[in-house]
Amino acid sequence: MPKYYRPTTRADALAALAEGGAGARPLVGGTDLLVGLRHHTLEPDLLVDLKAVTDLPEPIAVDDEGMRFGATCTLGELVEHPVVREWYPALVEAALTVGSVAIRNRASLVANSCNASPAADTAPPLLVHGARVTIASLDGDRTAALDDFFLGPRRTLCGPGELVTRIELPRPAPGSGAAFRRLTRRRGVDLATVSVAAGVGPDGALVLGMGAVGPRPLRAEVPGPVDLDDEASLAPALDRLLAAATPISDVRGSREYRLATLRVLTTRAVRTAASRRNPREMAS
Amino acid sequence: MTTAPERAIAQRDALGEPADLYPGGQVGRPVLRYGGGDRTSGAQQFVADLRFPGALQVALVTVPVGCADVLGIDTAAARAVPGVVDVVTAAELPSPVPRFGVSHTDRPVLADGRVNYHGEPVAAVVAETLDAAQAAARAVVVDYRELPGVYSLDAALAPGAHLVQDPSIRPEHALIDTNVLEDAHYAWGDIEAEEARADVVVENTYTFPMVTHFPIEPGGTVAVPTDSGGLDVYSPVQHPYLLQRTISSVFGLPLNQVRVFAPDPGGGFGGKQNPKLEPLIAFLALRTRRVCRIVLSLEETFQSMRRAGCRMRARTGFTSDGELTFHRVEADFQIGAYADVAPRVMGKGSYVAAGPYRIPGVRIDARAVMTNTTPSTAFRGFGSPQVSWAMESQLDAGARELGLDGLEIRRRNLVAQGEAFVRGESAAHADGDWHQSLEKAAELIGWGTPLPPNRGRGIAVGIKPGATSGLSQSLVRLLCDGSAIVYAGTSDMGQGARTLWQQIVADELGAELDRVTVVSGDTGTVPFDLQTSASRSTVFMGSAVLEACHDVRRRVLELYAESTGVPAEQLDVRPGLLITPDGELSLPEAARQALGSLRGEFIGQGTRRLRGKGAHPLGGDAAFYEFNATAIEVEVDRETGELLLTRHVTVSDVGTELNPLQVVSQDEGAAIMGLGHSQMEQLLLDDHGRIRNLGALDYRIPTFKDVPLELVSEAVENHDGPGPYGSKGISEGALLCTAGALGAAVADATGVVIRDLPLTPERVWTALQGADS
Repeated sequence: MPKYYRPTTRADALAALAEGGAGARPLVGGTDLLVGLRHHTLEPDLLVDLKAVTDLPEPIAVDDEGMRFGATCTLGELVEHPVVREWYPALVEAALTVGSVAIRNRASLVANSCNASPAADTAPPLLVHGARVTIASLDGDRTAALDDFFLGPRRTLCGPGELVTRIELPRPAPGSGAAFRRLTRRRGVDLATVSVAAGVGPDGALVLGMGAVGPRPLRAEVPGPVDLDDEASLAPALDRLLAAATPISDVRGSREYRLATLRVLTTRAVRTAASRRNPREMAS
Repeated sequence: MTTAPERAIAQRDALGEPADLYPGGQVGRPVLRYGGGDRTSGAQQFVADLRFPGALQVALVTVPVGCADVLGIDTAAARAVPGVVDVVTAAELPSPVPRFGVSHTDRPVLADGRVNYHGEPVAAVVAETLDAAQAAARAVVVDYRELPGVYSLDAALAPGAHLVQDPSIRPEHALIDTNVLEDAHYAWGDIEAEEARADVVVENTYTFPMVTHFPIEPGGTVAVPTDSGGLDVYSPVQHPYLLQRTISSVFGLPLNQVRVFAPDPGGGFGGKQNPKLEPLIAFLALRTRRVCRIVLSLEETFQSMRRAGCRMRARTGFTSDGELTFHRVEADFQIGAYADVAPRVMGKGSYVAAGPYRIPGVRIDARAVMTNTTPSTAFRGFGSPQVSWAMESQLDAGARELGLDGLEIRRRNLVAQGEAFVRGESAAHADGDWHQSLEKAAELIGWGTPLPPNRGRGIAVGIKPGATSGLSQSLVRLLCDGSAIVYAGTSDMGQGARTLWQQIVADELGAELDRVTVVSGDTGTVPFDLQTSASRSTVFMGSAVLEACHDVRRRVLELYAESTGVPAEQLDVRPGLLITPDGELSLPEAARQALGSLRGEFIGQGTRRLRGKGAHPLGGDAAFYEFNATAIEVEVDRETGELLLTRHVTVSDVGTELNPLQVVSQDEGAAIMGLGHSQMEQLLLDDHGRIRNLGALDYRIPTFKDVPLELVSEAVENHDGPGPYGSKGISEGALLCTAGALGAAVADATGVVIRDLPLTPERVWTALQGADS
């Protein structure tokens, strides 16, 4: 069994992670980590619980430029926040598909990203909104686009001795809209067979975040305007957006099914996203 | 010859039981669940919650394939783990390794040189802590050679297939050179002539997946060696007395030296009927002279119980009027590596493979095919859901050819009350007015009313034979203050059996409901009960409790006469009352007066015994049949294959609702469970016989978000059952034909017929793609 350490300062947490190296794992909600421990798919020597650290970024901060989510922000807090609900409805839709209420009240948005599951539900909307992560270590902080942060299945830029302290999202541009769609084998608690978040920009550009159709969450965009009501305009745009998807066949779905339904969900998400563009803001 | 209800009514009359419910009584009311508060609040003690200070913890060692020869087991590293007390392999067991089983004595206590399914333990580690046991289990090195195991029906039935069973298990058997463990054949009528006169013939193949029970409580076992050389065994089993007999037999102990405590199972569904790991844990306890404990993980539970998958080829004929003329079905049940009770599932399920219909010519050929997979066992429905899927789908296939709808074809073929649906020497007759259930389901679904695009409706019926033999014994003690204690060995795994005993005793003895307690789950104090299975307890144990109450009343009358000098001939009893020349006395008051200053109590005994018939293929006539009609309305997303059930109606023929609330909860639970195997549940195996979706992450059962938008449960009551007050068993009905109703609804919505379960989004999508192209 790993040792459990509950530091109260960021410096102590980073020092412990640095000393523990690859054998140390930060712990927030534990919704992935504890499952791994139970099944012995993860066998760390040290768990560094961040929940008692007092000088990490606050869970949720908002200003005119956008929002920042600290490592201890739970999905439960996220989906209840009025500004999140107004600015990032696709993220709320995605977060509400993660586990159950009890799981969401433990699970951390940042840690969900660090877990880097190709099927992570919150990844597609974060990618659509151009999320950036801050990675801290004893050597200082650095930032990266979330799209660069994901390297592969369960692999990220966050290495041994490092900690992602926050995710920041720019405020959506006026006249843009976003939506999330997911396909599962059942309606209640399930992992995505396919997931997609779509964003429509003020100029009609399209951006997608895709889950469970590649070795990592994928992002793709096409410049606007794309006429969503014109099949001749929409179809080639979707072709370009979805070209990055390389799903595999597994216990949750076949490659063929994933490709076909990805296109269906994308079409639906794009239309919903377009319907969410604020007309008043578009006019201004 | 009399029918089962006739016999039951005769027996009831002989006992002087009233035919109707008592006005103002507890029976028939929606009394809240006995023990339900503790179960809801978390106060209930499941086996994992019981404390055994100083107990040793057990961890099991398995190999990562479904079929292998074990060449050697190196336990040195495991033994070196601090806290490890013992590591046991087959070599440490008596030779030959003891075997046990229900239909065949085939299952070794530990794998004996050969692993026959993925998850079969080859060694057990006993340690002071669970961590030590698990670490040591991982340190055991098993040298094995994988064998070409058979993991599907096709592989098991192929010429030259690897034989799953050790030939010594059934040396003289005609099928010894095959993987067919047993077969069953039922036939009646002149099938060639009936086929010749058919105007429409449909022939199709259907499959039903292997599914697991998924009780929320995985379960476990604790074995305690007693000072007198015996064993106390704690296990949340449905059949404590079978476990007692098994342990007694494996270890050569008299029954009174084996005491089984059966804490309430947290769900059983048939999976907790028969012994599995208990003999191993008992052996470890006797060997170490210490308390040995194992609590299973969900994954280990998956590897210890499942329902038989089934492939059915059916050929069915109809006249142009839509009347069935013949039905042929070949059903191959994919059972597992050991027999458990699977041959009986095959035999009893296929007995009703022609459904509750009037068919002049029938031929049913069924086989129980062994594979290197988790041993299949009893599972709610006991073979009926499989054969019902084929029969109901065939009926709809015929209806489509004939231009009839699903309701009309069933109206024309469903047997009337008293009419035979199984003919020949071992005939079976409808023991209820089943048309009432069919019509009620049709009415509740709004059959025939217009539907928007991509919506469809289906209706189906299902039957299941109840118990064909049985024995339940009960004691009821009426104490001097009017409170009562019932001893009834039925395991309460969530069905609420104890609530019924409480209601019956309250009415029969005039006791207040909350002053009746029930003792169960202890073979040392509670009289014998054969089984908690086949929805039998209401009928069997209910009758035994009722008889015990009558016994108490008779004794009260006798002692009252003796104590007061009132001649017994001038006294009489009624439910809850003693009738005296001076008027009515409540039974507790009469008992108090009769007992006098010495106080004491009255002890009544009741027995309900149903002897089987040796010549009957099921071992006897079913005590009753469960009958259900289900109708489903579904909306299909043609682009993704997703199904949205907008309305689901289930109507069961229950005889009498002793507790309407519990009838609805059993019915709803069965309906939702039926949606599991209809929509999403299936065990998927890889090339090595391993379960690919081992665990809750990828084995999907319905959640509350998957429940139909409207779920309506109704009952038909004609007081025509053999149980107390005309009741029947009701716990399985609503899942018997869920698949047939859903499949028909999807076909109605899309025009596409799917014959393989479950109807996952991808399977529906694939079928629609095929139809569109």
